[in-house]
Amino acid sequence: MIHCLLIKVSNNKRGLPVRSYRTLTADELTIGRGVECTISLPDPRIALHHAVIKRLENGQPHLMAVNGELEVDGAMQQSIALTHGKKIMVGPYQLKVEPAPPDVSLSISLELTHHLPDDFQDLKSRTHEPLQNALSFKRRLSMWMAALIALIFLVLPLAQSLIPQLHASMAQLPFGFDRVWSPGHISNAHLHFGSQCANCHQTLTHKVSDQACMTCHRDTAPHITDSKLQQLAFNPTKRLSYGVRCAECHLEHKAPHPLARQDNATCVKCHGNIKATNPKTKLPNIHDFDLDHPDFKLTFSIGPTAKDIERIPQNETARLVEKSGLKFPHSQHFGKVQGPDGVWDVRELTCTNCHHPEGKEMRFKPVSYNQDCQACHASQLVVGPAKAAIHLPHGTEQNVINTLKVQAPKQLAHYAEILKSDGCSYCHEINETKKDDVLPWRIMPLRISQDWFSKAHFNHASHRTQQCQSCHQVEQSDSSADVAMPDRKSCLRCHSGNNPKPKRIASGCMSCHDFHSSHTAQAIEPVAVPAK
Amino acid sequence: MQRSNIFDYKHYFYFKIAVVVILLGFAAYLLFEPTVGHYGGSWLGYVLGTLSAIMVLWMAWYGVRKRRYRGTGATQGWLSAHIYLGTALTVLVTLHSGFHFGLNIHTLAYGLLLVVVVSGFFGNYTYMIYPRQMTENMGEDNLDGLLLRIAEADKMARQIALIMPDNINNAVARACSETSIGIGLLEQLRGYQPNCPTAMAVEQLTLMGKDLSTELRKPYRELYSIMVRRQSLVKRVRQDLMYRSRLGFWLYFHVPFTIALLVAMMAHIIAVFFYW
Repeated sequence: MIHCLLIKVSNNKRGLPVRSYRTLTADELTIGRGVECTISLPDPRIALHHAVIKRLENGQPHLMAVNGELEVDGAMQQSIALTHGKKIMVGPYQLKVEPAPPDVSLSISLELTHHLPDDFQDLKSRTHEPLQNALSFKRRLSMWMAALIALIFLVLPLAQSLIPQLHASMAQLPFGFDRVWSPGHISNAHLHFGSQCANCHQTLTHKVSDQACMTCHRDTAPHITDSKLQQLAFNPTKRLSYGVRCAECHLEHKAPHPLARQDNATCVKCHGNIKATNPKTKLPNIHDFDLDHPDFKLTFSIGPTAKDIERIPQNETARLVEKSGLKFPHSQHFGKVQGPDGVWDVRELTCTNCHHPEGKEMRFKPVSYNQDCQACHASQLVVGPAKAAIHLPHGTEQNVINTLKVQAPKQLAHYAEILKSDGCSYCHEINETKKDDVLPWRIMPLRISQDWFSKAHFNHASHRTQQCQSCHQVEQSDSSADVAMPDRKSCLRCHSGNNPKPKRIASGCMSCHDFHSSHTAQAIEPVAVPAK
Repeated sequence: MQRSNIFDYKHYFYFKIAVVVILLGFAAYLLFEPTVGHYGGSWLGYVLGTLSAIMVLWMAWYGVRKRRYRGTGATQGWLSAHIYLGTALTVLVTLHSGFHFGLNIHTLAYGLLLVVVVSGFFGNYTYMIYPRQMTENMGEDNLDGLLLRIAEADKMARQIALIMPDNINNAVARACSETSIGIGLLEQLRGYQPNCPTAMAVEQLTLMGKDLSTELRKPYRELYSIMVRRQSLVKRVRQDLMYRSRLGFWLYFHVPFTIALLVAMMAHIIAVFFYW
């Protein structure tokens, strides 16, 4: 049996401790939240049956945990001897063993030391503001991003350009800091040095100069062969401050687009009003192939050298006569023709029987008698009676006369006259010779025009899907004087000008013309570039 | 009642301007194509780029203008213009780029602009949708009112739980003392908290109520309904927090990326004219 004095300590309204006394007598004193407990502590932090005070065999009262926890100096304990002065935490209550008055065996005080917090304030402290520290987060993020971008994309590239030491040491690396400024892919040809921007962008805030290009392209010809015209067209004082630089037409950082501009704008800039550039010129203004391109001029060979040419416009039809020195009717060499072996020998001839395409652009090999004519025509001329026939192989007139001199010296003049009127002259034009010439007559030299459009380029290969006759009408041609070159109108059947038209292909200046034949112009002397 | 909002401000005045700007941009883009294709350095590219740069600066100036109480025009009009012309600006900048992108400062500036614009669109969306939903969620209450009601429920629940078995008492006590609202950014944006003590307590109470003595049945039912009410109140508070955090969250991107964009744009312009 335990006689226990229970002292409950609470605070009054002024906050001063008030002690209330109660005596309990029981075999064991139960402590808990439940109303049936001897010591009932209504607090949610106390278990329903928290602990019990009972005497052990030795008569010493002990506090023993049932469902709750007991704590002495921060340590959990199951069974605690209630000796004088002991302080035990029972949930939020502090149990203290007081000095017992003589009439009781045990005296304990209970005080609520950990009050329940105020619900509202407690909940409020656990309710967080939305987006705490948003302002400082945004500030820090802004500053970091701004600093990082400024460093990588502005400070480092600028430092590389402006600090010579850094520039020199960076030049050895595959990339410079200024690589991040590159606006587009560099063309394949320039890629091997293009990763170092300063190779071309030599002066800051200046456009890429022609000197930069000339570092490598030293032997590039002036784009206009005529040096005076070059001055007129590329006059630096005329356009803005820089004049026409290489980079105006050769645009870099545009790969895979070709480096050179392919449009007409640059051509039309001068040729649209050509007199403004060169007042003495006889050229007409041209804007567009479809619109105002003049008729083609055909190039006739008029002399032994390549420079002996005459260019005749196609609208002057009376002058379009080819003096090739041959007599060749195309009409008899086209379609079904009779072969050399009689009426039953019918042969089908097409253009390619004699005109053999050659090379990537499908130009044509010169027609040769040995290869192209002998399939049907005899390889030798025969003169004289059947018994003493003289065989004359195809060759120069000198060879023919020599053969006659050897085989029939007495009848030389007679046979020579026959050849002049029937043999050689069957195909060749014959020229009379002067009296002191060693030969009685000569074959007219062959002047077959190879390049009819000498100021333009024409690619037969691009047109191989077309029939030859659709451009070259030779079926009705009885004379080799006829010229069977297509004119501008026949081009316009399939081609249009700068802009595509229905069922017609857009064709700019560069489709047919080189820029002032820059590739065939004479190279300027290599200029020594001063060492830096 | 508000007669016009930022979208139909002055009969869609800025919307019409934006449409005209976009159409003009597209028309110029289609009509004047350089032979090498569109790029920022063609004359059209320079025009579009200059226009875009001015517009970006003007858009950014809105951030300053809206903090001032005085200035030209209504702030509502400024915002309307900010939204519509900002959209038009994106189109102009895209045309300025000529659809050429690479690993360089130019594309970085473009990417930053897109982040700014897209976050702006999201901000627009939140301001269109969430204020109404917030009102629907809170009804007549405000945040403190809801918290008071939760605290009241706590007190009642704890009182009833005193006579309940320990496991029920503990579950209730934990729910009351440990439920917190909007701990982290993710929870705030989701409006939902995994392992919420209140939700767990309700779940546990459902199981624990099975083997109670008959005299505890009635208080148990009362306790259960209090806890369910508490759960729904907590959910409403979390929803409110979610709406408020979402209304502000897009600015985490919109503002810092604008600063980054301004720096990148400056670097872009300097780069272009240094290596001219």
